Amino acid sequence: MLKTVTRAPDVRDPLAAALVAAAAMAWLFTGDFGKEVLSEVAVFAIFAMSLDLLVGCAGLVSLGHAAFFALGAYAVAAFGVFVNLPMWMAMPLAVAVTAVAAAAAGFFAVRLGGVFFIMMTLAIGQMVYAFFLNSRAFNADDGMAGIGRVDFSFLALDSGEPAVFSAFAVCAAVAVFLLLRMVARSPFGHTLAALRRNEPRLRSLGCPVLRCKLAAFTLAGALAGFAGALAAQHNGFISPDLAFWTVSGEVLVMVIVGGMGSLSGAALGAALVILLRHHLAGLTEFWVFYLGVLFVLMVLFAEGGVAGMLSRLPRKLHRRGGNV
Amino acid sequence: MLELCGVNTFYGASRILRDVSLRVPPGKLVALLGRNGAGKSTLLKTIVGQAAAQSGRVRFDGEDITSAQPWRIARAGIAYVPEAREIFPSLTVAENLFLARRAGEWSGEKVFALFPPLKARLRHGGGELSGGEQQMLAIARALLQNPRLLLLDEPTEGLAPVVVDEIRRRLAGLKTAGPAILLVEQNHAFAAAIADQIYVLGKGEIRWHGAPAGLRADVVGAWLGVHDVRD
Repeated sequence: MLKTVTRAPDVRDPLAAALVAAAAMAWLFTGDFGKEVLSEVAVFAIFAMSLDLLVGCAGLVSLGHAAFFALGAYAVAAFGVFVNLPMWMAMPLAVAVTAVAAAAAGFFAVRLGGVFFIMMTLAIGQMVYAFFLNSRAFNADDGMAGIGRVDFSFLALDSGEPAVFSAFAVCAAVAVFLLLRMVARSPFGHTLAALRRNEPRLRSLGCPVLRCKLAAFTLAGALAGFAGALAAQHNGFISPDLAFWTVSGEVLVMVIVGGMGSLSGAALGAALVILLRHHLAGLTEFWVFYLGVLFVLMVLFAEGGVAGMLSRLPRKLHRRGGNV
Repeated sequence: MLELCGVNTFYGASRILRDVSLRVPPGKLVALLGRNGAGKSTLLKTIVGQAAAQSGRVRFDGEDITSAQPWRIARAGIAYVPEAREIFPSLTVAENLFLARRAGEWSGEKVFALFPPLKARLRHGGGELSGGEQQMLAIARALLQNPRLLLLDEPTEGLAPVVVDEIRRRLAGLKTAGPAILLVEQNHAFAAAIADQIYVLGKGEIRWHGAPAGLRADVVGAWLGVHDVRD
C-alpha cells in the first residue's frame, strides 16, 4: 500500500506534453532544414536530460559531460566504419562502451566533492579531447566522415531522409525522457534527491553514497553516449571538438536555462539554446554574446529556469484573477 | 552492546571529548546529560563516524567501529536522530520514511501506531511539517532502519511544551518495545524518570554515572544546573 504513495502530479508534466506536440508540429509543418534542426534539438535534449540526472537530481555539476557524448559518437563510428557493423548493433555497443568509460571515470570523480568534482570532470573531458585530437586511427583533428545511419529499409523508409531521421530522434528523446522520469521517481531517484540535499544524513541512514553517485554518473554517461551516437549518425561526421569543454559548458547552460531538476525543462533548454543559436547566428555575428546575456539574466532572475517560471505561472494567474 | 573506551575527539586543535568511556547494555535506555557545549552531540557524532576519534575505541557488539564509514556503522545497526532532525524537505513524508528502510520488526504499521499523526501526512512534503511532526518523522525514519541501538540527540529541543509531553510519552512507550537507546537530554528530571542508567558529561569528561536514583543534588548543581558565575 505504502509503496504506491506519490506526490501530487508534477506541474511540469504539461511541459513535456507541450514539447512533444511542438516537435510533432515542427515535423509536420517545416521543410528539410526545419527537420534537421528538429533532429539536432532531439539529440541535445537527450544529452541535456542525461546531464540533468547528475546536476538537477543528484546535485553533481559536471564540466566534462561532453567526453561521454564524444565517446558515444566515436564508438558508433568505430563500430560502423572500422568493424562495419549495422547501426542497430553499433549503437547499443557504443552505449555500452560509454557506460564502461563513465564508470571508470566516475570511480575517481565521485570521491571528490564540490569544486574538486567539477575540476576532475573538466580534466577527464579534456583528456578525452586530447586523446581523439592525437589519435591517428580517428584521423586526429580532421575527424571522420562517412558514418552511416540506422537502417529503416525493413519499414520501407530511408533514414537518410530528414523526415525519417528526425522522427527517430524525437522518439529516442521521448524514450530517454520516460526512462529518466522512471529513475527519478524510483527509490534510487529519491536517494539521489536526498543526496543533493544532505549527504552526511544519507550516509547515517546507511546509504552507500559513493555507489549511488557512481551509478548516477554511469547512467548519465551512457545516455550522453547514446546522444553522441545519434549525433554522429545525424551529422555523418565526427571530430575531437565534440569532447571539448565548451560543449560540456553549453549543455550545462541548456540544463540551467531550461530548469535544473526538471527533465522536460532540460529538453526545453536544449530546444531554446539551439533555436536561438540558429536565429541569432542569422542576425548577428555576436550571437554568443547575446546568448550569454540571456544566460546571466536567467540565472539572476528566473530560479528554476524557464520550466520554473512556467510552473509558477498558473499560481500567478490565479492570484491575479482572485484580485479582480 | 555499545562500548566506548577512552575516546578522545578533537575539532581542529580543541579537544572536545576527554577519555570518555561509556556502555549501553542491550535493550536498556541510557541517558546522557550535560550542559550546552559539554560535548554530548560530539559524543554521538563520534559513535556514528561523523566525527573522528583521535584515540580510544568504539565497539558495537564486540566489533570495532571506531574508524568505520558512517554508512557501514548505520548498517551494523546504529540509527542516529540528529538534533536538527534533518528531514529531506524535497521528499514526501512517505519517501523520507522508506528511504532507509531495512527489513525487520519495525514496519510502517508499527511506526504509525507509535506516531499516528504521520499517517495522515504521508503525501505531504517533508518541509511542510511542524517541528513536532518533523521530530516524529525523524524518529520513525530511524526506527524503520530497524536498528539495535537508537541514538537520540535532544528530541524535545525547541518544541512547544504540549509537543514535548507527547514526544516524551512516545519515548516511554518505545522503551518497553524498542531497541537500546542512548538519549541525549537537557532535562535531568525527565531523564531520571525514564532511563536505566545515567551518564553526566561536563567539559568533555564523564563526571558521574550510575542509576537514576543515585543522581544527587551536588552532581546536578555542579554539572547540570544553570551556570554558576563562580564556575
